[in-house]
Amino acid sequence: MTPASARVGPVPYDQAPWRAVTALAWRQVRRGALVVTALTAAMSATAVAAHRSAVQDLEDAAALEALAGNPAIRTLFGEPVSLDDPGGFAVWRTGTALAVVLSVWGLLAATRIIRGEEDAGRWEVLLAGRVPVTTVVARHVTVLVAAQVLAGAAAFAGLAAMGAAAAGAAVHGAGLALCGIFFTAVGALTAQVFATRSAATGAAVAAFGASMLAKMVADGLPALGWLHWLSPFGLTALSRPYGGASLWPLLLLAAAGLAVAVTAAAASGRRDIRGGYLSPPSGRAPRLRLLGSVQAFAVRRTLRPLAAWSAGIGAYYLLIGVLTLSMTAFLTDNPRFAELAAQAGFAGLGTVHGYTATLFALLAVPAGAFAAVRLAALAADEADRRLTLLFAQPVTRTRVLVAETAAVCGGLVVLVTVAGLATWVGTEAVGADLGLLAALHGAWNVLPIALLCLGAGALALGWAPRAVAFIGSLPAAGGFLLKVIADSAGLPAWVALLSPFAHLAAVPDAPAHGQASLLMTAGAVLAATAGLVGYRLRDLHL
Amino acid sequence: MVSNAVSTQSLSKRYGRVLALDGLDLSVPRGEVFGFLGPNGAGKSTTIRLLLGLARPTSGRASVFGDDARDVALTHRRLAYVPADVALWSQLTGAEILELLARTGPGTDRPYRDELVRRFELDLSKPGRAYSTGNRQKVALVAAFATRAPLLVLDEPTSGLDPLMERAFRHAVHEARDHGQTVFLSSHQLAEVEAVCDRVAILRAGRLVDVAAVTELRRLHRTEVTVSFAGTPPDLSRVPAAEAVEVTGPASLRFTLTGPPGPALEALAAADVTSLAVREPSLEEIFLGYYGGTPQ
Repeated sequence: MTPASARVGPVPYDQAPWRAVTALAWRQVRRGALVVTALTAAMSATAVAAHRSAVQDLEDAAALEALAGNPAIRTLFGEPVSLDDPGGFAVWRTGTALAVVLSVWGLLAATRIIRGEEDAGRWEVLLAGRVPVTTVVARHVTVLVAAQVLAGAAAFAGLAAMGAAAAGAAVHGAGLALCGIFFTAVGALTAQVFATRSAATGAAVAAFGASMLAKMVADGLPALGWLHWLSPFGLTALSRPYGGASLWPLLLLAAAGLAVAVTAAAASGRRDIRGGYLSPPSGRAPRLRLLGSVQAFAVRRTLRPLAAWSAGIGAYYLLIGVLTLSMTAFLTDNPRFAELAAQAGFAGLGTVHGYTATLFALLAVPAGAFAAVRLAALAADEADRRLTLLFAQPVTRTRVLVAETAAVCGGLVVLVTVAGLATWVGTEAVGADLGLLAALHGAWNVLPIALLCLGAGALALGWAPRAVAFIGSLPAAGGFLLKVIADSAGLPAWVALLSPFAHLAAVPDAPAHGQASLLMTAGAVLAATAGLVGYRLRDLHL
Repeated sequence: MVSNAVSTQSLSKRYGRVLALDGLDLSVPRGEVFGFLGPNGAGKSTTIRLLLGLARPTSGRASVFGDDARDVALTHRRLAYVPADVALWSQLTGAEILELLARTGPGTDRPYRDELVRRFELDLSKPGRAYSTGNRQKVALVAAFATRAPLLVLDEPTSGLDPLMERAFRHAVHEARDHGQTVFLSSHQLAEVEAVCDRVAILRAGRLVDVAAVTELRRLHRTEVTVSFAGTPPDLSRVPAAEAVEVTGPASLRFTLTGPPGPALEALAAADVTSLAVREPSLEEIFLGYYGGTPQ
């Protein structure tokens, strides 16, 4: 008998078990982490580079500061601090956008790798091992926190490399990372509270939306400036990296993030695996509406997410509408600013119609994301074999895809109409002169870009089903970033023209580009048709 | 000509470098309960995916009642399917899933469905996520049997069921057969295949090893005979059908028998036999024989 076989019981593996858990978490987020880090570095660096040309366009830095004092601009980009400094300009121009990217990525990744994996049943084997659930959750959160620190460091490197002052860059990088860490922790906590990934993600996104709204209100309405202290985005803004940096808001944010993360890890140990603190009821009476056909079922699956997206987008655009009051008042007092705004490239921002047109263009990003996410959900239904029973019915793949795209199309129309209505209600409430039709036209104007996202998502579903969310978001989110980067970095004009946003008219301030809209819609139909061909030809991943 | 319920001609499927299915020729006549056996990775599920048109064959053809399996709008009007691993929409309750499948499917015998729900003791008020593996399988089984479709394709349908539910399953298969339906049953449960199937195909490494009637398959193999006797030990040396004669005691022996038993019985008659046990090999022993394993 050899000594090895004489040993009774399992042979311990030399490596510490939590290292394997850390490696598992990192494998699941590394691609997204690297993309987010690269984006953060690139946007920070290009914004510093853009500072010179932006200042040259205006008579002097003071005029730039005055322009940025416009409540509309503040709502969009936050409160400007030290715009005469390249670092201050970069922070103002990219800070909010990057904080949003890091926060959204952090909370989505947290609910995906924590609740999503547990909900899919993949944690049971993991938790049967030596590592307790609190450690598993803590390790996952730690990996995500490390990814956020990496992204914050990338912001610092991007700013410093282009010659911005290092101290301010460090404060800015820390602020971005802490904002991301806070929402990562929020995602980890909602992943403990709710038993399904969708509910956990929804709750985390709601917290994110509320924080963003609080910050925007605080930026737009000086009387409510104290709201900054209640929002991670507000705290990040209060740190003022290039305006006499203040570390207290960041320390508060760090403490809040740490508290939420520790609560999440501790909470995981006091519940059942696959359960949450708020579990859905175990039984209910059947609701048989919208189960009669593939089309009806596609509508049924779209309704709940549509309601959530509509609530979020509606609230945002209601605020946009309400904020037109402070802008109108500002312009009455300072008539010269409309002219200055036009010079800086924000043409027409000085009027109600111009202001809403600029913000309606932004609507294409969430609307396109909605389309991409819905088709990604169809791909997930296929990968998780929920579609198996449906595909065993006398139902062609063409019918399934057409039903889904039709339902999403309908959802898009509802979504942008809600945004238009909410803006109109907001402007009516404060007595701004927008008009219902103008509001609706402005909102509907972004539909072709959202349809491009739907077409791109369908194309991906047919040929690259694992990349539906990414490819589907490209026309809107990617196009928006491309235009911002091309404009601010002074890239050749044709680069910006690749973005659909270059062809979007500023409706309701200007008439719609009928031809461009038609071309985009035709492109969407072509992409969707090519996707359908691939969907019919390929094996289903059931 | 009446076409077979299921037929495949030189059906092959390649996933990258792996040849999952290699030139399968199979035909299942209407009204038959057909067992589909093979170890993990033999290509059983691949065959079923091709039959259902969920995957495209690399070469060859699969047809259902004579129609190309890729034309799912046509073929799926005459079949119902239970996957090996049933996944349900987590938000829909059992009742809602049955309603969806009934209204998008080939038709449903609702009174029979209610009867099946009762027999399988299925609680339809729970949402999909709350069902255990066995209960998810029951939802799919009830939906499939309730269609009364001419062809039932069942991929390891009882792997999560307890013995009582397995009995309910066998009962439903018998009812389907009595109803003239064809059943294509992929299974690891040899006792189940033995109990319900008329014919069995054995698949190994993507190739068909054998197709035989369950009774025929057994006949291919030797019967084991154990004898105790009071008189002189019988002389089996001149009985060619008796092999591997083994003396197990002063008044008992064991041998295997191939072919007709007449000559062996004649030889035993002289020995004043006190007990005689004849044991048929189980399908499991036959099955393991194909794969070089040894019966437990």
